[in-house]
Amino acid sequence: MKNKWKITLKQGCALFMAVYVVFTVGLYLIAGDAFKYQVSDQSIVSVEGNTPIGALQKGDSVEQTFTPQTNILDSFSLKFATFGRQNTGSVRVKLLNDADKSVLLDKQLDISGFQDNAFVTIKPEKQIEAVKGKTLRVSIVSETGTPDNAVTLWSNTTNKDPNQQLYLNGKPINGVLCFNVAEKDVLLFGQYYFEIMGAIGLALLAYCINLIYRRKKGIKSLGLNIINAFTRYEFLLSQLVSRDFKTKYKRSVLGVLWSFLNPLLSMMVQYIVFSTIFKSNIPNFAVYLLIGIVFFNFFSEATSMGLMAIVGNSSLITKVYIPKYIFPVSRTLSSTINLLISMIPLLLVVLITRAPITPALLLLPFSIVCAIIFSIGMSFILSAAMVFFRDMQFLWGVVIMLWMYATPIFYPESILPQKLMWLFKMNPLYHFIRFSRTIILDGVSPEPKAYLFCLIAAFVPLAIGAVVFKKTQDKFILNI
Amino acid sequence: MIKVDHVSMEFKIAHDNIKSLKEYVTAMVSGKLKYEEFWSLKDVSFEVQKGEVVGIIGRNGAGKSTLLKVISGILKPTKGQVIVGGNIVPMLELGSGFDTDLTGRENIFLNGAILGYSEKFLKSKYDEIVEFSELQRFIDVPIRNYSSGMLMRLAFSIATVVNPEILIVDEILAVGDENFQAKSKARMLELMGGGTTVLFVSHTLGQIREMCNRVVWLDGGRVKMIGNVQEVCDTYSI
Repeated sequence: MKNKWKITLKQGCALFMAVYVVFTVGLYLIAGDAFKYQVSDQSIVSVEGNTPIGALQKGDSVEQTFTPQTNILDSFSLKFATFGRQNTGSVRVKLLNDADKSVLLDKQLDISGFQDNAFVTIKPEKQIEAVKGKTLRVSIVSETGTPDNAVTLWSNTTNKDPNQQLYLNGKPINGVLCFNVAEKDVLLFGQYYFEIMGAIGLALLAYCINLIYRRKKGIKSLGLNIINAFTRYEFLLSQLVSRDFKTKYKRSVLGVLWSFLNPLLSMMVQYIVFSTIFKSNIPNFAVYLLIGIVFFNFFSEATSMGLMAIVGNSSLITKVYIPKYIFPVSRTLSSTINLLISMIPLLLVVLITRAPITPALLLLPFSIVCAIIFSIGMSFILSAAMVFFRDMQFLWGVVIMLWMYATPIFYPESILPQKLMWLFKMNPLYHFIRFSRTIILDGVSPEPKAYLFCLIAAFVPLAIGAVVFKKTQDKFILNI
Repeated sequence: MIKVDHVSMEFKIAHDNIKSLKEYVTAMVSGKLKYEEFWSLKDVSFEVQKGEVVGIIGRNGAGKSTLLKVISGILKPTKGQVIVGGNIVPMLELGSGFDTDLTGRENIFLNGAILGYSEKFLKSKYDEIVEFSELQRFIDVPIRNYSSGMLMRLAFSIATVVNPEILIVDEILAVGDENFQAKSKARMLELMGGGTTVLFVSHTLGQIREMCNRVVWLDGGRVKMIGNVQEVCDTYSI
């Protein structure tokens, strides 16, 4: 029966490459614009309005110049005021290139739909490209206004930006309109997506061929050793994982149901605490919170169990030869089962709160796998440290609590000022949680950088852990 | 088959077993962090050919168990190396890794996996293991409800179901009641006599004389004598 699953190295490599191709194409389809453009942080943000510019009567024109700092103009918005009444008629909004007077956008807006003191967003059908450094001019011309049936625009009378000039009926005046411009950057990664992924694919393919060649010639290599170890000890690993999992809930009445209930209950407690006592204005807080809890609980459980992986199996290690890395890995994998089960309540809450269900959800395994790899790396470090210093188990309890508060699980990321964002960025868990939140809450793929950060946050600790573990493992037996 | 090449094994014995950072720091500050070097094995070399049954004798603390652990790969020698050609089944202690909350059936697979058996092998030998252990009625009961004799019977049955290329035995294990003891002893003798390479530690010289081709006599971590069974055993028993 087992033979069905035994595959040769060649088949394994072919399968791996096929998965890679599917992943590449799938990612491209799912990610879409997220890989091509990035919202620029140099977008123009409106100043606080202090003076309405005056009722726009028929023929009145207001013009505002500005200079985008990035290449693509996605949309812009203007702050209108309606004098608190219902107006009728329309205004014409144009966007012109100041140098050659070409019209980039020409739109007629029905003013009857305007709210008082609200921004009205004007989004061109096609994004306007190649505007970097050029002076653009927004012109608003009233087509129907009369003194008691007109809207006005908010402005601020102190203008400091030399690139922005306000004109009223063609004459320059002091001040600046209250307006926002959303700009986007073109991402090189998205532009050359298939070239980059193709190059990585070729490198992987070359490595696979190299592995097959080495296997044939019997030359040793790190990759082959790892593959051999996993195929050889795969059965032992599966037995250890199933033991951990079976014994965990063995004598409890609800059993496996706890994996399901635990995150749900702790979410409910924290939800009540943070949504009523501390008012938080995060949209869809339940899902926001639950994603953080699920990931953090996994990390906390995997590392606390991984910490004891070597010390707790001392009776085995001193009696039988088993590669020692099996223990931290199996502990992490048994927590993984819990993680997967706790995805069910998460999905339920997503459905109940009507968060968007989009193809982007298919990207969730990426952050889960990264979190697992990170936890394996941490378990390596911790289990090795635990052998030499038994204080680790008490110390880790404190560290994990600190870590929980340092991760934006139940508070918004914006709690830290921009200057201190590096604190989050140093925290691998932050990247996995943020990645998952973007997918689930926004329903879109994160930007390419987020993928890179996740990979770094997963594999750097793994590499460090593997090296520490390998260096110290021969001394374990003398200390347990 | 087995080549033990100038193997030395050093243990550092700290006078207090320092297990925490605080103890370590205080010990270091007060200058008490002294280790006593202890060579459990010192420059041990010998070879075992395929099919040989080699006995290892010596007094308590002579390094016999350490040597077996080094050969089975549990301990890594401080100096020298061990080259082993073939799969080893070390029978140093039975029932390693039994989990008391699991049933007998689950433990057969868990313990078998720990001993390095493949899933296919275990499935094909499963009935044989259960039959040998005579635990058919209790196989789906968690083993925390087993008596110690039943546990040993199960452990013995799992450990001896293989026909390994190299067998490492620390005393012939005769477990269970009288009936089972006879059965288990017969099984051990069958395993050891079946053309496999055996390393055999025993304090019973009778068994050594009966079974072995050659004998290694360890004393204080060094090989005191190696060679013909008759010769070594006679010198040893004086």
